[in-house]
Amino acid sequence: MDVLRFLDGGIEAVILVYFLLINTFYFLFSILSLAGILRYRRLVTFVRFGEIFRMPIVKPVSIIVPAFNEGQGIIDSIRSLLSVRYPVFEVIVVNDGSTDQTLDRLIEAFDLKHWKAVYKRSLPSQPIRGIYRSPIQPKLIVVDKVNGRKADAMNAGLNVSRYPLFCAVDGDSILEKDALLKVVRPFLEDPERTIGAGGIIRLSNGCDVRDGQVIGVGIPRNWIARFQILEYLRAFLGGRLGMAMMRSTLIVSGAFGIFRKDIAIACGGYRAASITEDMDLCIRMQKHMHDLKKPYRVQFIPDPICWTEAPESLRVLARQRSRWHRGLIQTLVRYRSMLFNPRYGMAGLFAMPFYALFEMTGPFIECLGYALFVSHILLGQVNYPFAVMFFFVAVFYGTFVSLLSILLEELSEHRYPRPRDILILTAAGVAENLFYRQYLAVVRAWSMIDYLKGKNEWGAMEKRGFAKAGQAP
Amino acid sequence: MLSIVVLYSFVYLLLLSFTLFLFIFSRRLFIESRERRDRRIYDLMELDLLKILTARDPRSEALAFSRKHGSRPRILKELLVAYREALAGRAVEPLKVIFEGTIRGRCLRELRSRWLATRLQNVRLFIDFSRPEEAVHLVKLLHDKPVVRLAALNALAGIASKETLAYIFDLFEKDPEPNLYAYSNIFFSLGPRIEPFIRATLDKPLPPAKSGLLVEMAGRLLLRGLYLDVIVFARHPDKELRIRAARTLGRLLVPESMRTLTDLAADAAWEVQAQALRSLGHLQDWRTIPILVKGLFSPQWHVRYNAGYGLAAFGLVGVLQLQEISRQKEDRFAADMAAMVLDSVILTGEVA
Repeated sequence: MDVLRFLDGGIEAVILVYFLLINTFYFLFSILSLAGILRYRRLVTFVRFGEIFRMPIVKPVSIIVPAFNEGQGIIDSIRSLLSVRYPVFEVIVVNDGSTDQTLDRLIEAFDLKHWKAVYKRSLPSQPIRGIYRSPIQPKLIVVDKVNGRKADAMNAGLNVSRYPLFCAVDGDSILEKDALLKVVRPFLEDPERTIGAGGIIRLSNGCDVRDGQVIGVGIPRNWIARFQILEYLRAFLGGRLGMAMMRSTLIVSGAFGIFRKDIAIACGGYRAASITEDMDLCIRMQKHMHDLKKPYRVQFIPDPICWTEAPESLRVLARQRSRWHRGLIQTLVRYRSMLFNPRYGMAGLFAMPFYALFEMTGPFIECLGYALFVSHILLGQVNYPFAVMFFFVAVFYGTFVSLLSILLEELSEHRYPRPRDILILTAAGVAENLFYRQYLAVVRAWSMIDYLKGKNEWGAMEKRGFAKAGQAP
Repeated sequence: MLSIVVLYSFVYLLLLSFTLFLFIFSRRLFIESRERRDRRIYDLMELDLLKILTARDPRSEALAFSRKHGSRPRILKELLVAYREALAGRAVEPLKVIFEGTIRGRCLRELRSRWLATRLQNVRLFIDFSRPEEAVHLVKLLHDKPVVRLAALNALAGIASKETLAYIFDLFEKDPEPNLYAYSNIFFSLGPRIEPFIRATLDKPLPPAKSGLLVEMAGRLLLRGLYLDVIVFARHPDKELRIRAARTLGRLLVPESMRTLTDLAADAAWEVQAQALRSLGHLQDWRTIPILVKGLFSPQWHVRYNAGYGLAAFGLVGVLQLQEISRQKEDRFAADMAAMVLDSVILTGEVA
């Protein structure tokens, strides 16, 4: 009995320390981000991004868009990509064996014709069935290939691409007109050292999207999408910017990230078996540079914006988060040699341990806490006043971090136009602590079991299309 | 004990969250009302500015504008920067008069600010509105942090006297870690007037990256007078410099460069070969067609690719050559490349 009580006390202490540490880290990241955003805002005052357009040495970019069953929103996405402001670029859409109308819609919308392309097969990929070009959009190339997942599609796109930088964009994403000009700046300022850069991803749910552009920004009616807006703000403005300031960027989002093609190819391109190919490539590129003892940097820029559609049902959301978490575990396990390894600098000493201790094992510890609480209720051992107070501490700690991310949004881009939007986001910040967080913790903890069982499937994402997302069904 | 800590944490977090929420919300309300007011003033200023731009005597009107709106520097800065971007040539003159009459003194003071961002913001205004007499203030910033130094150089480029150009090139030579992107921007904005400075700098022993940028600039600015200076780099041991020389020769389009480009097309490095073939395509000297045809049979994909598009640049003659190569059976890779280039020409009109 004493052993059990000791064990119980030990677990409680671990949970309490975990709770304190994770929230403190997020708080610190938010403070770092706050300083970063204020500095960035002042440094780019009176900078004319249009100047980059006229620059003689701007490197051309290949925008690669892997698409699997993206028929709903692919035309809007490609139109938005073709209309970005950038001197020289090409858009390569890789139809990864879609079973819906993706390819037919592309052929119809852009009058695609077969093209006898000859390309250098630098990276392995599933067989390509055909390559198409559009007489009305010379910048567009469509690759039709046998299904092989996103990483494989990206490799096929990389093989066909012609330019020294490539930008990975999801088939369900919309880039703002100046997004490429802004995200490419680190490559112009420090071309030798910069190997990757990412911009911020925002949710298009609730926004008014017309002809491939976000015309009006709004908050969706769906609460799951509202919670995700906050999550994205926390993750990108709070987390990634803060981590980038500590030179600890491990992820450049696959939905919108730009990389040097020579480095990506030198380290073998995307790993086809990876579920989170963006994180895998980003870590591998950094490992490659460390192994070569070459200085490098991966930048996060807070204002180039990419809009994407978030799932609005718990079922689809669970699938997405389960995949992300399995991918995280898979990547961390694969690159475990970097953990606490001073050879890999901040990536090895801080970023990897942080992801391993808090992001990977976090949900498991959280669920352990819930299980312990339920068992204490059943055994009648709960100190109710303490439990209630602790619950509210947890709620308000979470709410405080969410409010900080809303403040970061206000200071950076200030995209949600109405004061009412702040009220809704704050309400979402409180409400997400009541069910949503716990649900996601369980989903992510379960995904660890799935990973141990060897589950490696992608999971289908159901899209409503940009025009409908965020509206009531 | 733990209960007390948790209780205090709860109260503390509740207050902190509530205060933060109030701050965000009231800040938003304040900013919205300020934006509305600023917009109103901006619109009024804009109307007055448009009158100046179409007036018979813009200078005197600009002085009157300065007297009327000088008390609102923040909005005025925005308006001036926005219109500077939209206007060019003599139309900018009234903007400079307004700048001098209103915010110039303040900006000069703030160039000495201890805050980097403030110095940077103000020096950037001088990029657009600098006068020769400002050079003395801007030169002092050439020893500031790199980001400010480059903005000061950019502002000096707007003045472009012989002395300021000498400053710019001197700093470029001595810069231990040059930001080539910023320098290329500055050189490009200076235009053909930098030709004698490029010539003088190319004669000096510089690191390949710096020489490369100057060679590239000669091509971008079409400085044909630098042809003889550039051609020297076609024999440079640094591969990157040979590539840049080949690219620049393809831009300058001096007929005599055919021989040098032909030599570069047989260079040991395939990257140089590829660039030389592309430049030969631009040169459109019929005598080089056999070299381009040979390039299409190269084992290197990039060389074949550039040779194909180089041939396509010749128009009908090149297309006929490509057709012939696409039909031959001896080298499948050359045939495929020729077919692809033909396809591109037919589908998208893309030539080079």
